[in-house]
Amino acid sequence: MAEAALDGLRVVDLSQGIAGPYAGKLLAGCGADVIKVEPPQGDYARRLGPFPGDEPHHDKGGLFVHLNGGKKSVTLDIETESGRAVLRKLLAGADALIESHPPGHLSSLGLGYDDLKAGLPGLVYCSVTPFGQTGPYADFQGNSLACLALSGLMYVTGDPDKEPLATGGEAADYFGGVTAWIAVLAALEHRAKTNDGQHVDVAVLDSLGTADEYNTAMYASLGAIRKRFHSRHHFPAYPSEIYPCRDGHIVVVFGANGFPLPMAILLEQIELENNPMFQNHWIRFIQWQQFEEILRPYLLEHDWRDILTRAQELRMPFGRVMTPSTLLDDEHLSEREFFVEVEQPDVGEVRIAGPVFKMSETPLRQGPAPTLGEHTHDILLDLGYDADDTRILRERGVT
Amino acid sequence: MPGDRPLAGLRVLDLAQVYAGPTCSRILSDLGAEVIKVEGIHRVDIVRNFVIYDNKTQDDYFNRAHYFLLRNAGKKSITLDFQDPRAPELVKRLVPHVDIVTESFTPRVLAQHGIAYDSLREIKPDIVMISLSGYGQTGPWRDYTAYGMALEPASGISSFTGYRGGDPLRTGISFTDPYSGMVGAGAVLAALAYRRRTGKGQYIDLSEQEAAIPVGGYALMDRVLNGRDPERTGNRSPWFAPQGCYPCRGDDDWLVLTIRDDAEWRAFCDAVAHPEWAEDERFADVPGRHAHHDQLDELIASWTREYDHVEAMHLLQGAGVLAAAVLNPKEVLLDPHLRERGYFDMIEDRGGVRPTARQLGARFSAFDTSTTAPAPKLGEHNREVLQGLLGLSDEEMAELAEGKVIGDTPEFAVPIQVMQAFVQWPLQSFLQMGCVRAVEPDYRQQLGLD
Repeated sequence: MAEAALDGLRVVDLSQGIAGPYAGKLLAGCGADVIKVEPPQGDYARRLGPFPGDEPHHDKGGLFVHLNGGKKSVTLDIETESGRAVLRKLLAGADALIESHPPGHLSSLGLGYDDLKAGLPGLVYCSVTPFGQTGPYADFQGNSLACLALSGLMYVTGDPDKEPLATGGEAADYFGGVTAWIAVLAALEHRAKTNDGQHVDVAVLDSLGTADEYNTAMYASLGAIRKRFHSRHHFPAYPSEIYPCRDGHIVVVFGANGFPLPMAILLEQIELENNPMFQNHWIRFIQWQQFEEILRPYLLEHDWRDILTRAQELRMPFGRVMTPSTLLDDEHLSEREFFVEVEQPDVGEVRIAGPVFKMSETPLRQGPAPTLGEHTHDILLDLGYDADDTRILRERGVT
Repeated sequence: MPGDRPLAGLRVLDLAQVYAGPTCSRILSDLGAEVIKVEGIHRVDIVRNFVIYDNKTQDDYFNRAHYFLLRNAGKKSITLDFQDPRAPELVKRLVPHVDIVTESFTPRVLAQHGIAYDSLREIKPDIVMISLSGYGQTGPWRDYTAYGMALEPASGISSFTGYRGGDPLRTGISFTDPYSGMVGAGAVLAALAYRRRTGKGQYIDLSEQEAAIPVGGYALMDRVLNGRDPERTGNRSPWFAPQGCYPCRGDDDWLVLTIRDDAEWRAFCDAVAHPEWAEDERFADVPGRHAHHDQLDELIASWTREYDHVEAMHLLQGAGVLAAAVLNPKEVLLDPHLRERGYFDMIEDRGGVRPTARQLGARFSAFDTSTTAPAPKLGEHNREVLQGLLGLSDEEMAELAEGKVIGDTPEFAVPIQVMQAFVQWPLQSFLQMGCVRAVEPDYRQQLGLD
């Protein structure tokens, strides 16, 4: 096996759901030994499906498999003192901890950062929650939808005469997960220089600050409160959106130099080069309905591939509107070997999303997700428990 | 007492432009690296044209773009125009002085100029280099140009974003740009960890399309396991019911909420003083609430309409119900939670304080990552970098300026008046069209900036 960037690093992943586990998955992909510590009933993401044939099973949930590939699973009831004792031993040999409990809960169990730092001064302790450890909303209930709402992203997404629209797929949680992954890596750089661990407070809501493209800027610099308008992009860039075409949908983005000539060529009406809507982007933006009377019929008469190929030849960054089916079947992604097959216990061969970037020296690793408690026994033995101990812990419901 | 930022002492040569690449390098900057951003005066970063402070486009407006500030705060700026062969030569002379190179061109550009990774590695073997491009460095689409607006649909996210029964929709921003920029920053940190341990650099090929595909994990796995493609369900959840976005008092104010289980449903009914809803057998369990979602939406809206959206959030959260106000951009700037968390740094730049959203949503106990400085003016650090690091003489600098290799003013292909018309936003038209909710001339007072 090729070297990995984080060989030798051990992470305890005590988080559940999407954000924290995705951070752990990225660390595992970079080569860290990630031990997922789950309550005996499992990470709640194990119950979220989708399940093969829609039959629920804690080891077969697609989302869980997606988020936990390459980790080990230990079951542990940390609400018991015996469970906490095991966790402390595990943490003694770990470089980083990721957790996603409501703020204050681990402290109430004696497992807060302040409880652990004296004994484990080098530990990077990363908390991932919807709204963070501090501030007036710290104790609020949250999810991706709530974070999209409070970040303002939702207000600018969707149609003006309809309700604001959330980006699908619990998207905000992935922002939080990537942020937590960065945060752990940055804290480890700090530790390499100082030997000191620390507490990192990651809020999914805060992680959307990077997605504040020009929404608050429009108010803070112009006094204009932006409102959703067909999910339209920053205004001089119109059109930059999805339209129906003959065999599906296409993203029309004209790029830096698409008007007036390349777009007129694409639409096979060269005289449009002199049309005011092609000459002046503000006229086009304001008279957008008239512009679309020109654009839409052309798109409806052509297939996506034809439109995309011709637009790209004209150096306009049009894009294809992909679905899971077309992604899995795509020639480009296939040549880049993006999707990989893993042998998932109880499920069989499954294709999963592979490396999200390619490193020349330390390629990312992919693996199946662990079954619930798959590694409990082995890891307890590693920690110095004997076979009787592991049996007793299991019988008492600690593991 | 906050310590040094963890990347202090590292230097980044940042050839990236627009959004994704500059987000990656700005995170590295916030973590302590010295980032030198490279632009050409014939090809300045296009986001220098977006959201000009006060919409005043005379003078050097390209140094007053709020959009540019967000992506480039804290960096240094040099100009090197790649139309001239001296520019790539100067890049090669800079490479021994840097640890990391970031770039976001289509793959053929750097190779054309002889400064692709293979060439740079010969100059500095332990260099860490990342290319962020739309579709990656290999594969049949590698040379396709790409903006974030096309990559969100191309990564599959739009296939499950949209109103029920409607077309796929994009998020109202370049969604994959900030996302893949963050992924890029993490990739660089992973490469730095490897370099610290082994002394070896490496090259990172990041396809912005691929980086964002995992956001569709649930839908992808449903396709893999069950052969199904997603339906668009508006704001509803595959798991919980009810979930949605509901109208509140006011013209365009909304509340989202998610009821995750039966206990939360009863808590909600009590909180809104409609205990009879909890008694209704149609709504007694999750399948029932899914099946009668339309009726539930009407009932819930009948309650939310009477409330201010922020007031409703507090009332419901006080009862343990997952609810959040849909904040508009002005409300985001004024929100007490975000203020207390330091969501915005207040940066003094070009005649006033500018709220600047942080690009890394993590708060570290051992060091600070707040924004260090405003965005650089075009070419502001030409002398510091080219003379300080490379030791160019005044004569050599003058020659480069003469040849328009360096400079502090863009060279436009069109008259400056045309550019000024391009970057000035017709706010009153926006208001009439409905793409802005209001234009408030006293916004600086409202934000407490004056």
